[in-house]
Amino acid sequence: MKTKLLTALLTIAASTALFAADSPAVGTTAPDFSLTDSKGKTQSVSQYKGKYVVLEWFNPECPFVKKHYGSGNMQKLQQEFTGKGVVWLTIDSSAPGLEGNLTADQANAKMSEWKTKQTALVLDPDGKAGRSYGAKNTPHMFVINPEGKIVYEGAIDSKATPNPGDITSATNYVKVALEESLSGKTVSNANTKPYGCSVKYK
Amino acid sequence: MPRLLFAVLFFAALPLHAQTYQGRELVQAKLVADVSAVVPGKPFTAGVLLHMVPNWHTYWKFPGDAGIPTEINWKLPDGWKTGEIQWPIPLKLNEPGDIQIYGYHDEVLLMQEITPPASLSASTVELAAETSWLVCEKICIPGSANLKLDLPVAAQSAPANEEIFSRYRRSLPQNWPDTKVAQSKWQREGNELRLTVESAALANYPAADFFPLPEPKVVVSHPKVERTGDGKIVFRVPIETDDKSVSSLNGIVVFGQNENGADRNAWSLTAPTISAAAAAPSMPEGFWKYLLFGFIGGFILNLMPCVLPVISLKIFGFIQHAGQDRRQILRSGLAFVAGIFAWFIGLALLLIGLKSAGREITWAFQFTNPYFVLAMSAVVLIFALNLFGVFEISLPQFANRGVLGWTAREGDAGSFFQGVFATVLATPCTAPFLGTALGFAFTQSSWTILLMFFAIAAGMAFPYFLLSAQPAWLRLLPKPGPWMVRVKQLMGFLLLATLLFLIAVLGAQRGVEAITWASAFLLVLSLVCWMKGAFIVPTASAISRSVALVLMLVLVIGSGYFFIGQKFAQAKMVSSETVAHGDWQPFTPQFLESEVKQGHAVFVDFTAAWCLTCKFNEASVLESAAVRDAFKTRGIVKIKADWTNADPAITKILKQFGRPGVPMYVLYPGNNAEPILFPELLTQSLILEKLETVSAQVAAK
Repeated sequence: MKTKLLTALLTIAASTALFAADSPAVGTTAPDFSLTDSKGKTQSVSQYKGKYVVLEWFNPECPFVKKHYGSGNMQKLQQEFTGKGVVWLTIDSSAPGLEGNLTADQANAKMSEWKTKQTALVLDPDGKAGRSYGAKNTPHMFVINPEGKIVYEGAIDSKATPNPGDITSATNYVKVALEESLSGKTVSNANTKPYGCSVKYK
Repeated sequence: MPRLLFAVLFFAALPLHAQTYQGRELVQAKLVADVSAVVPGKPFTAGVLLHMVPNWHTYWKFPGDAGIPTEINWKLPDGWKTGEIQWPIPLKLNEPGDIQIYGYHDEVLLMQEITPPASLSASTVELAAETSWLVCEKICIPGSANLKLDLPVAAQSAPANEEIFSRYRRSLPQNWPDTKVAQSKWQREGNELRLTVESAALANYPAADFFPLPEPKVVVSHPKVERTGDGKIVFRVPIETDDKSVSSLNGIVVFGQNENGADRNAWSLTAPTISAAAAAPSMPEGFWKYLLFGFIGGFILNLMPCVLPVISLKIFGFIQHAGQDRRQILRSGLAFVAGIFAWFIGLALLLIGLKSAGREITWAFQFTNPYFVLAMSAVVLIFALNLFGVFEISLPQFANRGVLGWTAREGDAGSFFQGVFATVLATPCTAPFLGTALGFAFTQSSWTILLMFFAIAAGMAFPYFLLSAQPAWLRLLPKPGPWMVRVKQLMGFLLLATLLFLIAVLGAQRGVEAITWASAFLLVLSLVCWMKGAFIVPTASAISRSVALVLMLVLVIGSGYFFIGQKFAQAKMVSSETVAHGDWQPFTPQFLESEVKQGHAVFVDFTAAWCLTCKFNEASVLESAAVRDAFKTRGIVKIKADWTNADPAITKILKQFGRPGVPMYVLYPGNNAEPILFPELLTQSLILEKLETVSAQVAAK
């Protein structure tokens, strides 16, 4: 009997430990980070309390990221919602020496080349922020509400392909989540399976 | 304009044919068939063979945390058919950052069955497949190829590419084995699904894993594997989607000597064929507690509204017994108790049979069948007529004609059937405790179900057993006398009230037309009962008795055939949507889901026309002015889920909440908070109290 109880307790302990490695669940408080962006400014989630924040995991070499920037889809979304007071942080968690890792200069060059419209491109070369969010894909999207709670986690849209031709017929989950949030509704599809390349952690 | 330029640039970056990276062709793709020629009408297997350069991988049907599966788009002439892709067992690969993917290194053959039409005019056919894939190592590159294979058309064909096809056929997951070899069971625990596999064969392998194949809308996290001391393997899959209805997953159970070893085998698990764990009479946790609940529930069943006429019958029986000697009373009491047990054990065996046949099982499921309700109506009517004195029941095997009153043996048989009858009428009620106990038992082994019904029967029989064993207590009841005839007749009216209820149930199930024909049949049945009383008497001559008997048979069979077999059977079903529910919305899973998703507070009344507890709760609580007002002022969406005809969508939800049947009351407090489950018997204060907790949130909206 005693051993059974012990096993049960150990199991619970083990499972909590394992869960910690997963993404923070929708509805929970978004983990905070303090990172430098490509312009040298410090960026955190907590400094934007009171605003909606979008986190977008980024790797300029990934075909899925190229799909959404090459078509102008991501820029359009960034422009539309930063225009409505939403903070948009693009995060690059590729480790040095791996695909998609950017120095500040390279990041700025990429931003002007692609005419991106985000609030800031945040550099996370040691992958700390990425791991704390359980960010697994590029792109992997999070929407955080003004209270600092995650209200959406998952894919950019409903068509998991690298083909830019699929964008127009896909449902853009991030757009829907932001529109619903901004009009005071609960996000109807708060958790989807993200698709893309894996984040290149070291 | 620059945007367009980007688009062109990036399109160019996605090669349409096999891609090269740093001078290497990463994936070589080709089409192969397992036959040398196409024989018209004869299925064969073709496959896309992908060769990856070392360390690069393509993906399985479910890619895991990243990546996308290889896609094959066959371009075949009209009349050709293709089967599903047969995916070999993939490797589970881990990348930094807790990223887990399922895919293939080096080489993979994705096979599909191809069926050519029965006649082919050409001498050769071109099989073509547009294939696209994502290949990754440290980076990911999409590729595609338009693959072609020319095959001659012939009357006969020889096997081709035998080595590769047989190798990859061996690496396909197999069907789930017989339950004697392996049993599987899914359980939902909060945001986690648990798959328990009990298999001696599997326990021998050091490496065992579960690779999920979730539906597109379901987001799963990494499965964890646990081995229990008794040889079971538990796979725990966290479900990230906020959908409480996900109760199982498709997937494969992979096992071998090492993780990712070449010798691995797999069994595929598809949701509908998942077998319930059976046999082994192991005692699950909380077993005794639930058994006690069953006993208490059975006892309370005596007090539930639908058993009222039967209680009166039994009390009447005891009054009749009061003058008899002790042994006599005990025998009769035990016969009654045996009747209760007989029905419950019979019901348990039937449920076990249905369960092992893979059917959904629920409490009082028999009342969802209109023919059962009709048969019950007939039995209730015949009993009522008997109580009115229209005819006497004489069981042929104990025939003791000419002797009025009850012989000992006849009395026993009568008590036995009274016991059965009482219990049959009790089943549309779910008493408190009973729901919990049965909800538990239905997920357990056959032995547990049987024991649970035994406990319920014991609980229900307990007071009668006690009264029979202690006849001294019977003295409290009045002395027998001529007044009993009047009481008997009064009880007859109580049974007619029950009949009214049953007919109302039939009406809800089948509509007015059906109850008209059912009533016509019941009328003929009454006539036959009267004939029995009037002509089948010892004083009548053998000839007139025979004539009456033949006439009675003709009437029963004839009216049964015409009114029931023809008219009743063809009466139009009334769908529950067309039934008006006042200010309640009719239930559909989509409506409930969308209301809950929008963050509205929703109250769902799971009910059925034949469920008296439901009707009682509705009349005394849900439709009371105080509760109606509370719902209204708080803007709570009211949904009525009508289970009268056993709507499977409703059965599914009942199961999610672990309830075996109706009544069930669930309050979704809104804003995606956990739903609140109410007990089977409602009180106004209970509802109002819970509504208080919701009001704050809803008011804030």
